[in-house]
Amino acid sequence: MLFSSVGFLFRFLPIFMIVYLAVPAKYRNFVLLVGSLVFYGVGEPYFVLLLIGSVLINYGLSRYMFWEPKSPQKNRKLKAKKRRRRALILACVFDLGTLFVFKYWDFVAGNVNGITGNQLLPILSLALPLGISFYTFQMLSYQFDCYRGKVSRQAGLVAYSNYICMFPQLIVGPILRYGEVEDRMAERRIRVRDLENGLKLFAAGLGIKVLMADRISTLWNTIMTAGPGNLHVSVAWMGALAYSFQIYFDFWGYSVMAMGLGKMLGFRIPRNFDDPYTSRSIAEFWRRWHITLGSWFRDYIYIPLGGNRKGDMRTICNLFIVWVLTGFWHGADWNFVLWGLGFFLLISLEKKTYGKWMERSGVLGHIYTLLIIPVTWVIFAISDMSQLAAYLGNMVGIYAGRVMVGTEQFIRYLKDYGILLIVCVIFITPFPKKWYHRFKDRWFMVLFLFAIFWWSVYEIVVGSNNPFLYFRF
Amino acid sequence: MIKQKMRRWLENVYNCPYLILIMVSSVIAMISFDEIGVRITDHIITDDRTISVVGDIVKAEEHQTQGEVPVLVEEIQDTGAQDGADQDVISENLQEESENAGERKEETSAIEDVNTLNIEIEKYETPEIQEEIVKGTTKFLPYTPLEIESRYYSDAGKIALTTEYPYVLENDSYFNDAAFLGDSRTLGIYDYVGLDGADFFCDNGMTIFKLLKDDGVTEQRTGQKVDLKKVLQERQYGKIYIMLGMNELGYGNTTMYLQEYMSVLKQIREWQPEATIFIMANLHISREKNNMETEFNNININDKNVACARLANGTDIFYLDSNPMFTDSEGFLLSELTFDGVHLYAKHYDKWRQFLMEHGVERGDSAAVAVPAADESVINEAGAAADSTEGTQTADVVPAPVEGVQ
Repeated sequence: MLFSSVGFLFRFLPIFMIVYLAVPAKYRNFVLLVGSLVFYGVGEPYFVLLLIGSVLINYGLSRYMFWEPKSPQKNRKLKAKKRRRRALILACVFDLGTLFVFKYWDFVAGNVNGITGNQLLPILSLALPLGISFYTFQMLSYQFDCYRGKVSRQAGLVAYSNYICMFPQLIVGPILRYGEVEDRMAERRIRVRDLENGLKLFAAGLGIKVLMADRISTLWNTIMTAGPGNLHVSVAWMGALAYSFQIYFDFWGYSVMAMGLGKMLGFRIPRNFDDPYTSRSIAEFWRRWHITLGSWFRDYIYIPLGGNRKGDMRTICNLFIVWVLTGFWHGADWNFVLWGLGFFLLISLEKKTYGKWMERSGVLGHIYTLLIIPVTWVIFAISDMSQLAAYLGNMVGIYAGRVMVGTEQFIRYLKDYGILLIVCVIFITPFPKKWYHRFKDRWFMVLFLFAIFWWSVYEIVVGSNNPFLYFRF
Repeated sequence: MIKQKMRRWLENVYNCPYLILIMVSSVIAMISFDEIGVRITDHIITDDRTISVVGDIVKAEEHQTQGEVPVLVEEIQDTGAQDGADQDVISENLQEESENAGERKEETSAIEDVNTLNIEIEKYETPEIQEEIVKGTTKFLPYTPLEIESRYYSDAGKIALTTEYPYVLENDSYFNDAAFLGDSRTLGIYDYVGLDGADFFCDNGMTIFKLLKDDGVTEQRTGQKVDLKKVLQERQYGKIYIMLGMNELGYGNTTMYLQEYMSVLKQIREWQPEATIFIMANLHISREKNNMETEFNNININDKNVACARLANGTDIFYLDSNPMFTDSEGFLLSELTFDGVHLYAKHYDKWRQFLMEHGVERGDSAAVAVPAADESVINEAGAAADSTEGTQTADVVPAPVEGVQ
């Protein structure tokens, strides 16, 4: 179930909230868990079993980590340490193995078959369980934290399951740490103000997703429909820009909705985006883009590998590992690896040479980031290598044959999407957020968000009832 | 104590206007719109159609009293299987359909009846009109139809092939007096085929229902919205290409589509007596995009194509099927030719250009001769042709030789 669907907005959410608020506080965790499983199960009736199984196995392993035999033993500490290590390894094998089978098997098998030239490995064509990349990382984060002793007290089964499955963050994150929800999981008070503010935040996120991301996505689709290879430079850049907006507003909208829902449930869900497009370097961009993923890789991969404390060579090597993995996390295809490698190159370069200077330079840093980022998103968007090459070629004025989508179409697109593009540009600046926080209790903001909510609902309804409206031929 | 509690509660309520606004409006909305599924749009569509269908029927009855036979009814008589009584049945069916348009489930059977009745009509060859005039035939390739439970379409059970005719290879100047009417695929032809002489009237989301309406169509060369009614009355074209049907897939049903197509052609014929009209097949969609759960699939597209192909008469209305150039053996648009499964990449329009060039029709003076009464509408003409055959040379009436097609 997606947040931006009638089923969620007018069936699940109201019923769930009524039950959630009506039951005594001590049953709320249980209600939340059941609600979350229903939320997931409606869309994924089979994979919900996988989710439940993974949660139980991970919980079992975390219990094993904390388990102590009653009778006194020799080498107690050493044995406990061994046990914990064993549990951690088992958890990693299970979680990453599941993720590998569902997400990466076909990619690996396809490549192996391609290289060896015969059908060595079978292609499974499994559907990808919704949100598996996110909840796997969250489960691993808990295991690591237990192993390191960051989670001091063992969580109860319901609390742990809620931490993984809580519906606001189950499908597209943010990737939470147990420490961020531990206190609230044990005890939380939901004030009317929280409901009010949470709902406002949710409406804002809904608007960003439905009214901006979904609409600008048609520009990218239109341009891709014409096909890379014959796009004029201007059109190619316009497409890259449109996709950059689409992916940001889509993801940001979801994260804001998650924050809003979290607030309504009495949790504090951390923000995932901090105006990434206003960064002055690529490294800064990644500190502001998908913050919870970046910090996950930092805390559980980069720093354990030694981070930047073991000399230049090791630093570069660690960066390489982190960025290849980041690329792979986003998708099982070569373009994602290329995308990750691109960031590795840029960030290594910045670290060693011009990064600090760029961040201090101001305008130049902004221009640099805004030129690079759309290119990286193009690599992210196009999986077919020859098409990707053709598109990147178009962005620097290399055409395959004659230009077929030229200035005439550029002007037409500008006519159709000009206003939306301007709105998008406004929303990548920090101002809308500032205005929101400053005026969110004023009557005009209340009315504005009210209008945004219903406008979004209208778009959702019209769009879902009539798929032809979004893809008008 | 209670007073204090009440007060605090009221304060709380006062402090959350947004929550209250959303809750109240949601409740209202959920009550007013069946499933906030807001079948709003659906209602609008069906209501809209009700009116115009009723309008058509009214028109049809007028024709009858004036002695002109409305096509739909005429065609059904031709099939021979029905007697006069069926006329009433059909108009009743139509009437029912229009009256019950809101509650679709009950009257699907009625629609189906109309559909099946219509589908039984084949193109008739009328070899006797004038001796030396070349007349094309539009053939239909039959196959075993699927059972479709949809209010939008049924499986036509056959594929319409390009009208057979001794086409001539043309060059760019041939298109200088051509007009293209259509949706985004026609826009693609404008953008990427590069027929600079031709006029293009097309918009994303254009439908046969909207084509001649007051809202207008964008004339691509100027980028201005124009009223196509006016344009077609003012300018004379030698060729008119029409390709519409994609945005109709989830709107009304195939019968309505056919009716509207007929009346649009009739209207165009009135304004453009000399023009050769090309009905272009709607391009199929890719396997990935094809969805049998929705109405968005090739069976539906084919249903629409077969419907409009039946309007081709081989003398001044031709049906051009470009699908074989772009589809695989099962009729799916080849996925390497498209990003979204619906539109061709720009570079593949060259093939389409070639196709259009290869299908030139040079009618010369014969046009005036071929059509005995050029000012009459196509529809009436078709009716008249059928009429005359019925009266005189019944033996010569050969239903489309479907089995002859390999």
